[in-house]
Amino acid sequence: MDADALVRDYLGRLDAAAMRLPRERRAELEAEVRDHIEAALEESGARDEVTVRNMLDRLGSPDEIVAAENAGGAISGAGSSGTVAFDPSGAQTVARPAAPGWGAIEIIALLLLTVGSIVLPFVGPLLGLVFVWLSDRWNGREKLMASAIVLVLLILPLALFFGASTSGGLNGPQVGPAATAGP
Amino acid sequence: MRYMVPVAARDPLTELRRGVLEHCVLAVVRARESYAFDIVRGLSRSGGLVTSEGTIYPLLSRLRRDGLVATTWRESDAGPPRRYYRITMEGERVLGAFVTDWVRFRDAVDGVLAVRLPEGE
Repeated sequence: MDADALVRDYLGRLDAAAMRLPRERRAELEAEVRDHIEAALEESGARDEVTVRNMLDRLGSPDEIVAAENAGGAISGAGSSGTVAFDPSGAQTVARPAAPGWGAIEIIALLLLTVGSIVLPFVGPLLGLVFVWLSDRWNGREKLMASAIVLVLLILPLALFFGASTSGGLNGPQVGPAATAGP
Repeated sequence: MRYMVPVAARDPLTELRRGVLEHCVLAVVRARESYAFDIVRGLSRSGGLVTSEGTIYPLLSRLRRDGLVATTWRESDAGPPRRYYRITMEGERVLGAFVTDWVRFRDAVDGVLAVRLPEGE
């Protein structure tokens, strides 16, 4: 394997290992490690296979790095949100809120956004959005994106309908999106 | 869940290192605002305090989250902008408490290790 392939392989394994981290932290960690690799290679002034292998060895395995995300715990006396517990072996462990996953709210949101739009036209997807915003699973940007998509999809048929009925005369409800295809 | 490991199978230095690394990082960024790669290099050179360099990033992220360090992005001469770390008031406080504890701990261990059996036993 050549040097670049080694780095690509390493970053691929890091990406897989970091799967269970919150999305934003995962992207950040990957960028940090990528920059570190670049800086280390820059510093050594060489990019041959031996240099890259040594550098990756020093970096530690992807699993080790990801494990360190949850290990260590809150530093004592930091007054942080993590609660520090001591187990009999003397190892410090920290109970953190688990990374938000899929729960009832997320499933209801998804069902309302998909099946809901057929069973309860208009109302279903709007209710779905409410559940999307209630969930901790998605960040603000993702929620805004979902809202934008749903609102556009809801407004588009209305806009086409009213647009067609004002330009094409009072033809009534049978004039749908097809009316725009006319001359 | 942790399980008991026989003493001989554990590397005491690994555990010690893990225990003190966060405070060593605090000490480094207290002395001088630094970026991650710099911090790692400094600690690896000081007697191998860091063995797996990549684990510094989760550690720095934790220090940020706990409010013990603050960061600023700055342009670098070469390459992408870098995130510089500096200690906060809270970090100073935590580090100060650690230094007191560490000195006491180190003296206690030194004292125990220095015990010699009396001659002839």
